[in-house]
Amino acid sequence: MAPSDLELLRGTLDLILLKTLSWGPLHGLAVVRWIEQTTHQRLQIEEGALYPALHRMEQRGWLEAEWGYTDQGRRAKYYQLTALGRRQLALELRKWSRYSEAMGMVIAAEARP
Amino acid sequence: MNWPEFRRAFRLPLGKRAVKGEVAAELEFHLQGRIEELMAAGLSRTEAEREARARFGDLPRIGAELERIDREMVRRRSLAEWLEGWRRDLRQAFRSLRRTPGFTAVAVLTLGLGIGANTAIFSVVDGVLLRPAPFQEMDRLVMVWQTDRKSGTLREPASLPDYFDLQRESRRLDRLAGFVPAEITLTPDDGEPSRVATLLMTHGLLPMLGITPLAGRGFTPEEDRPGAPRVVLIGEELWERLFLRDPAITNKSLRLNDIPHAIVGVLPASADFGTLQILGAAAYGRGFADRGGPARVDAWLPLRPNPTPESRGTHPLLMVGRLGAGVGLEPAQEELTTLAAGLERTYAQSNDGRGIFLEALPEVVFGPVRPALLVLLGAVALVLLVACANVANLLLARATTRMREVTVRAALGASGRRLAAQFFAESALLTGAGVILGLGLAVVGLRALMGMAPSDIPRVGSIGIDARVLGVTMAVAAGVGLLFGILPMLQLRGGNIQSLLQGERGSSAGKRHRRLRSALVMAELALAVMLMAGAGLLIRSFWRLHQVDPGFAAERVLKAEFELPRSRYSRRIEAQRFADELRRRVSALPGVVSVAIAGSHPLDAGFTSSIVVPGREAEAADWPEPSIRRVDAGYFRTVGGTLVAGRFFDASDDVEAAPVLLINEAAGAQFFRGTNPLGQRISLWGAQRTVVGVVGNERIHGLVAATPPAVYMPVTQEPVSGGSLLVRVRGNPAGLAPAVRATVRELDPGLALFGVEPLGETLSNSLGQRRFTMVVLGAFAAVSLLLAVIGVHGVLSYTVAQRTREIGIRMALGADQGNVRTLVVGQGAVLAGAGLAIGLLGAFALTRVLGTLLYGVGATDPVTFGAVALLLGGVALLASYFPARKATRVSPVEALREE
Repeated sequence: MAPSDLELLRGTLDLILLKTLSWGPLHGLAVVRWIEQTTHQRLQIEEGALYPALHRMEQRGWLEAEWGYTDQGRRAKYYQLTALGRRQLALELRKWSRYSEAMGMVIAAEARP
Repeated sequence: MNWPEFRRAFRLPLGKRAVKGEVAAELEFHLQGRIEELMAAGLSRTEAEREARARFGDLPRIGAELERIDREMVRRRSLAEWLEGWRRDLRQAFRSLRRTPGFTAVAVLTLGLGIGANTAIFSVVDGVLLRPAPFQEMDRLVMVWQTDRKSGTLREPASLPDYFDLQRESRRLDRLAGFVPAEITLTPDDGEPSRVATLLMTHGLLPMLGITPLAGRGFTPEEDRPGAPRVVLIGEELWERLFLRDPAITNKSLRLNDIPHAIVGVLPASADFGTLQILGAAAYGRGFADRGGPARVDAWLPLRPNPTPESRGTHPLLMVGRLGAGVGLEPAQEELTTLAAGLERTYAQSNDGRGIFLEALPEVVFGPVRPALLVLLGAVALVLLVACANVANLLLARATTRMREVTVRAALGASGRRLAAQFFAESALLTGAGVILGLGLAVVGLRALMGMAPSDIPRVGSIGIDARVLGVTMAVAAGVGLLFGILPMLQLRGGNIQSLLQGERGSSAGKRHRRLRSALVMAELALAVMLMAGAGLLIRSFWRLHQVDPGFAAERVLKAEFELPRSRYSRRIEAQRFADELRRRVSALPGVVSVAIAGSHPLDAGFTSSIVVPGREAEAADWPEPSIRRVDAGYFRTVGGTLVAGRFFDASDDVEAAPVLLINEAAGAQFFRGTNPLGQRISLWGAQRTVVGVVGNERIHGLVAATPPAVYMPVTQEPVSGGSLLVRVRGNPAGLAPAVRATVRELDPGLALFGVEPLGETLSNSLGQRRFTMVVLGAFAAVSLLLAVIGVHGVLSYTVAQRTREIGIRMALGADQGNVRTLVVGQGAVLAGAGLAIGLLGAFALTRVLGTLLYGVGATDPVTFGAVALLLGGVALLASYFPARKATRVSPVEALREE
């Protein structure tokens, strides 16, 4: 399968970013790399959309940004979930699993009775 | 996967300027990372850069969007942080104030008293004097008084023919109108008849004043003629009470003196142009203004004047005029004097000695109350000064005791701004609480003032709390609170932390504070002394007035007034029968000692008439007209009048007997100086009457004014169709009022009884304005004294606390308790002495402004000033006693161990 053949569904970017950051602080580039690796390049994030999403989430108080240093000693901006962000993640997860469950039922249906 | 080690660099800086750089750095980091990745995968640098940018998308647009989001975030966060900072400061301030409840209570109370008293008094002055009157071109309105050279009176009503002549001939007055006060009986469809204050007025009065009816219309010239159909304008209050503000009011009618009057309109409550004040200023013909207590005009009737030639001798009409455009008072006065001289020549008999006196209407209405109100205004400003000094004092004391705390915190790195914000928050809290308390006190105080205010203060009904007044007072108080609240901060900035940390005792700031506080306390004491001197003088005046012998014994006398309607009592015999029956029935009531019926009660100026002593006609031309009083045989016994010579009236002085009269001492001195008046004859009302007695002066013009000449005639010879019923009782006169009312109702259910009150009350009401000024000024003096005492106590307590160590040393070295007490009390005495000296000097300079408010005492009455000095000295010593006692309990050992 060629990379980036899956278009991102609307509204799922927040969930992806929250989940990505749920293990600890990351800078923007690391977020992109992690998503690419985890989804084996199937899900390609448009990098341009990533940063505005991160900043907006910071504004909402879901994330906290802090400057730090990478292993190579470079200065980078790290994002970290706040308590509010964790609550939001749980909420989005519940929403998503209900959604995909419903989608699954539709797809698995065999014939109209 | 491996998590990159996360090493903290620094917090995200908050600042709009930093946003741009941060966004650029973040994006740059991203692109560089990508480029390195791509180069590692084999791309050349140029290709890698192009690929990375392509993957990212529209870099400038995204960058701009990020900046926008971040800037918005920074803005919101700094606002939130600012608010949070304030909340924290206020919370801390609240806690810190709660730790010192004594200080907080006194400071808030002081501020509240200052603000409340000022707002209340300013509101009164503003409502009465400053706010524009609801009349067009008030400054062109003048009272046109008639003068009498013979009696020297300046303010008399005019006769109808004179009014018409002046109105026709004056060019410098562009309008002239007039009114006559009257009281008439209003008989509602249901309910008891009542007596209402009425003005009979010329139809031009309302248009001239610019008063427009709320409903309906004013009077037409046709309605203002003799024999015209009966019409009436009613007041707003009556409209509300009797007709529930029925808009169809002009279809209704009102029964007045038993005659139906068609209602043509309603006049607004604000239409009072100073009726009571004008009437009060008049030499006679004052109508219901003599009643005392609040009188409101409820109905207006057309005058329907009938200027017959004979009527030139009677003077009922109060004239109000309007100066022509651009005409001053003086030219108009000149013209009217000329016109009056012409009338004098033409009608020598009636107009001899009659002139005209023009007086600006505002002067008449506001003139009498202005001095009292301005004095109160000045006094309340002094109270505010004392309050501010006290608050400043308290805050300074607090600041000094907290100097260490502040210094330590500053040394530990609290920023000046942070500390200032906290002090500011404390001051703001104190001031805010003071303002709320002050507003409450102002509302309560204003209500009390209005309840106490005598009716001769104009426009009392229009007074309300004024927002501007409150604003100004609040600003002054808040200014003082904040200034002295953050003073310690300013000192911290100027002084050096090192010396402060070493101990406040030696610090120069502490000394400066102490000097400033002592100065403030002295100022407070001095201001309190001035207020006390003023209040003391008024109290002495009032006391002196109460010692004035009114010429009658008002205690235990009940007064009730009535007026017999012409419709039912047209003949003499009917009025007489009513009077006899009333006297008989009231005499039979339990507890009644004696009963009298008189044309006017002892505090009613009544009316005047000219007299002639046969053989001395030439002299009589220059005699003032005496007050004419008709009384019955029981009058002097009932009111407790005194007989100087001859006899009182008795039952033998009836219609059949020869006409007799009594004169008062003033009349004796005026008309019969050097001769024995008894047996002399006086010609009055077309009959020659023999003087059978001389009675003591009854103060018919009130306690302050001199008593004019008066003559008394028996009602049996000159009956009255109305007047006063006077009843002397054994117990409380007010208790008899219901029985008297019931008796009158039995006798004539259609008759309205009015002015029912103990005569003593009438007497004290006549001093209403003086009592008002005295009570208010007295309250101010008491408040300022209290505040000053708090100040003295505060300063001394503080000194004792500060000098604990010194006192301890002194005691260790052998000083006994007496020495220590003297030390502290001595300091109090110095403060009190200085304050007293300054205050007395100020009082010497200032009490002059009391002027006419004083009676029987000089403005620098030594007795009053001495009493003030004693009181203040005593209270100040008392205030220093407690700190002194505390000082004597200092234990030398502990004092030295301390610190």
